[in-house]
Amino acid sequence: MLDLVAQSILSGIGVGCIYGLIGIGFCVIYNASGIVNFAQGAFVMMGGMVTYTAFARYGLPLPLAAALAIVLVAFAGVVLERLVVRPLWNRGSTMFVMILATLAAQIVIERLALLAAGDQPRTLPVFTDRPPLRILGLAVNFQFLWIVACSLLVIVLLALFFSSTKTGKAMRACSINRDAAALQGIPVSRMLALAFALSAALGAFAGILITPTQYTAFNVGVPFAISGFIAAIVGGFGRPLGAFTGGILLGVAQALAIVFLGSAFKNVAALSILLLFLFVRPTGLLGPAK
Amino acid sequence: MMNSLTSIWAEARSNPLLLVLWLAVAALAAYVFVNGGYLMAVLQFACIYVVFVAGLNLFMGFTGQVSFGHNAFAAISGYTSAVLTATYGWDPVPAAVLGIGGALACALIVGYPVLRLRGHYLAMATLAIGLIAYEVAVQWDSVTQGYMGISGIAPLGVGRWTITSDRGILIFLIVVALLSLLMVRGIRRSRLGRSFVAVAGSEDAARALGIDVARTKLLAFLISAGYAAVAGSLFVHAVGFVSPEVFGLHMVVLAFTMLYVGGIGTIVGPVFGAVIVALLPETFRGFKEYQDLAYGAALVLILIYTPRGLVSLPDLWRRRKAAQKTDVQQTSARQGGAA
Amino acid sequence: MSLLRLDHVSRRFGGLVATDDVSLEIPGQGISAVIGPNGAGKTTLFNVISGFLAPSAGKVIFDGQDITGRPPEAIARLGLVRTFQLVQLFDDLTVLENVKVGFHMQTQGGLLSALLPGLASRHEEQMVEERARDLLRQTGLADQAGTMAAVLPYGKKRLLEITRALAAKPKLLLLDEPAAGLNKQETEALAALLRGIAAAGTAILLIEHDMSLVMSVTDQIAVLDFGRLIARGTPDEVRANKDVIAAYLGTQSEAAHA
Repeated sequence: MLDLVAQSILSGIGVGCIYGLIGIGFCVIYNASGIVNFAQGAFVMMGGMVTYTAFARYGLPLPLAAALAIVLVAFAGVVLERLVVRPLWNRGSTMFVMILATLAAQIVIERLALLAAGDQPRTLPVFTDRPPLRILGLAVNFQFLWIVACSLLVIVLLALFFSSTKTGKAMRACSINRDAAALQGIPVSRMLALAFALSAALGAFAGILITPTQYTAFNVGVPFAISGFIAAIVGGFGRPLGAFTGGILLGVAQALAIVFLGSAFKNVAALSILLLFLFVRPTGLLGPAK
Repeated sequence: MMNSLTSIWAEARSNPLLLVLWLAVAALAAYVFVNGGYLMAVLQFACIYVVFVAGLNLFMGFTGQVSFGHNAFAAISGYTSAVLTATYGWDPVPAAVLGIGGALACALIVGYPVLRLRGHYLAMATLAIGLIAYEVAVQWDSVTQGYMGISGIAPLGVGRWTITSDRGILIFLIVVALLSLLMVRGIRRSRLGRSFVAVAGSEDAARALGIDVARTKLLAFLISAGYAAVAGSLFVHAVGFVSPEVFGLHMVVLAFTMLYVGGIGTIVGPVFGAVIVALLPETFRGFKEYQDLAYGAALVLILIYTPRGLVSLPDLWRRRKAAQKTDVQQTSARQGGAA
Repeated sequence: MSLLRLDHVSRRFGGLVATDDVSLEIPGQGISAVIGPNGAGKTTLFNVISGFLAPSAGKVIFDGQDITGRPPEAIARLGLVRTFQLVQLFDDLTVLENVKVGFHMQTQGGLLSALLPGLASRHEEQMVEERARDLLRQTGLADQAGTMAAVLPYGKKRLLEITRALAAKPKLLLLDEPAAGLNKQETEALAALLRGIAAAGTAILLIEHDMSLVMSVTDQIAVLDFGRLIARGTPDEVRANKDVIAAYLGTQSEAAHA
C-alpha cells in the first residue's frame, strides 16, 4: 500500500508539472492584461495534436515535430488574440464577456480539431525508450524525468526572460501598471499579443510533454485548462511560481484521490479542491498576487 | 393577464423589429402546429430553453452576476424526474416537484459561498459546479446509468391523463414558456426586480439605499436556479430520455448564445434567442459536428459585433444618437464649469 | 442635541492615518459641511460614518444608537443616507425607476407580490409611483422620468442621485461633493435645492470643494487637515481662523480655484 501511495505521488508530481505549466500560461496572460483566457486548454490540445500529425503523418523527427508544433501553436495564440481578444479589448468589454468569448473560442478550436483530425485519441512515443529506473524501490520512468527536467528548465528560462531581457521587463511593467507602462513608451498592445504567443507556446509544450504518458484528442483541452486554472488559483492567481507549486499539489492530490477513492471521481476531487480554495482561501496558498 | 397582454402589444408596436420577430415566431409556431415534421422537435426544444434562458437572464442580465453552472440545477431536477419515474415508477408531477425542490436546496447551499465571489472567481466557481454535476451524472452509474442514459421516462401529465401527442406537448411547452416570461416581466417591474437591476448598476449605491445586496443576489440566484430546474424536468419528460450530455457544458454555451442573440437584460430576448439558435443547427442538418462549431463561432461574432443582442438593435441605434447628444451637452457643461 | 456624533474616530490604512482622532457633532437640522484640502481624509470620514469602512478606533453614534462597524444597509435603515463622489446611478434603470429604488426601505414587496402584482403590492406600487414623480418634479427632473439614467447629462445625474437619496427619507443626508463638475448655474440651483431640503426638516452633511457653495449654504463647518480636525464653527468663524488659512495656503492653487 505504502509503495502504491509513493508511486502515485511520484506520478502525481509528473502530471502536476504539466498542470503547473498550464497554470503559468494563465498567469502570463493575466499579468499582461487582466484577462483570464479560458481557451488555454486548446493550446495544450493543439500541442499534442500538431506534434502527432507532423511526426506520425509526415514523418518528421520527434524533436523537429515538437518544435514546429510549439511555433505553430504560438502563432495560433496570436491569431486568437487578434481575432477574438483584440476587438473586445478595444471596446473595453467586461471581464465576463472576455471569459465567454475565449470559452467559445475554445469550443470552436476543439471542433475544428475534430473535423481536421477525427475523434480518435492519439499518442506519441516516449522520448527515451528505456525500462524505468529503480530508485528506492520506486519505478521512475524516463518520460517522468523528461517532464520534470523540461518544466524546471522552462521555469528557469522564463525567470531569466522576465528578469533580464528588455521585452520581459516591459511585460512585467505592464503587469504592474499598464497606463504607466504605456507612458514609458512600452507598446502595451504588442505585449498582449506577445503574452498570448508565450502562453500558447507554454501550453503546447505542456501538451507535447504529457502526450506520451496519456493521449491527446480533440476534447482534452477543457479538463487541462481547468486543472491549470486550479493550479493558478491554489498558487495565488498571477504568480507563476505559485501556479507551478499549485500544479504539483493538485497533481499529487488527484493521484491520491485515485488511490483512495478510485479513478471515477478524480475530476470531482479536483473540482472540489477548486471550490474549497475559492470559498476558503481565494488568494491562494501563498497569499495575494502582487 | 389580459392587461399584461395588451401592454406587451403596446411595447411591440413601439419597436417594429420586435413586432416583426413576434409575428415570425407566431407564424412559425402556427406552421409547425399544422404541419408537424421535424420542426416540431426544434420548437419544443426552443420552448424549454426559453425557460432556462429567461432564468439565466434574470441572474445575469438583470442582477449583473455570472453563472457558467446553471446546467447543474437542470441536471439535478432532470435526473430526479428521470430516476423517480423510470426506475421507481413515480408520477411525473411529484417527481418533478421533488427534483425542483432538490435543485433549489442545492442552489441555496452553494449559493451563499459562491455569491461572495466576484469576477473570474465567480465564473470559475460556477463552472466547477456545473462540471461536478456532469461528472456525477457520468460516474454515478448505478443510479444514472452513466453515458448510456435513462430512457422510458414518463411523459408529462397527471395520473392517467398524460400529454403524449407532439402537438399537445408543444402547446403545453408554449404555455409554460409564456408564463415564465410573464413572471420575469412581473419581477422586472416590481420592487424586487428594481433591486436586482440596482445591484447590477452599483452595489455601493444599492447598499446606501438600504438594499441587502447579499440577500438580493441570493434571491436572484435561487429564482434563476428554479427556472433552470423547471427546464431540466420539462426536458426529460418531454423527450423521454436523458444522458449526461443533455446537461453538459454544451447546455451552458447554447444558453449563452441564445441569451446574447436575443439580447441580455431584455425581457423578451430569450424567446427570439432560443428560437433562432434552435433553428440554426437545422441549417447544418446532417453535419452534426458543425453544430457546436456554429454555436461557438456565432457567440464570438455576437459578442464582438452586437453585444446587446438582436432585440436591442433599434434601441442601440436610438441610444447612440441620444448619447451623441449628451456628449455634446456634457462637453459644453464642462467648459461652462471651467470658465 | 446632536443627530450624529463622532467619538475619537480614527482610520488607518497600513501606516497612513487617513482620519486621526476626529470628534464631531452634527445637529439634527440645517446644513453642515466638512471641508479641507485634497487628501485631508474627508471621503474616508464619510465612508466610516456610512459604514463602508470600519473605523480603526473610536465610535460613531447616530440618533442615539452606536452604529460603529455596522454594514451600510443597516445604517441606511436608521435614516442615514449618502451619495457618492463619483455619481453612482443604476444605469440600466430609468430616471423614475432610480427614484423608485430609493423607496426600497419604506416598502415591502418581495417575490410573491412581484408574481401576483394584482394583489397586495398594487397599492404600494401606486404610492411609490406618485411619490417618485412628486420628488422628480421638486428637483426638476420630471421631464426625464422615462430616460435611461445612463444617458442623462452629467449635471442631471448628480441631481438624480440626490433625488433618489431623498426618496429614502433620510434624517441625515450625506452628500459627497455634490457640486463637483457642475457649472455655475447648476451650482446655484443646487444651493437652492439644499436650502429647500434643510428647510423641510432633513439635516444635511456635505463634503465640498466649492467654497462658494459651502460658504453660502452651511450653518456649521468642520475643517480637516491631514486627517485631523483643525477648526469648526460658522462660515465666518472658519474664514477668519488662522489654522484654516495656513492649511489652505499650503495648497494655494486649490484655494484659488475654490
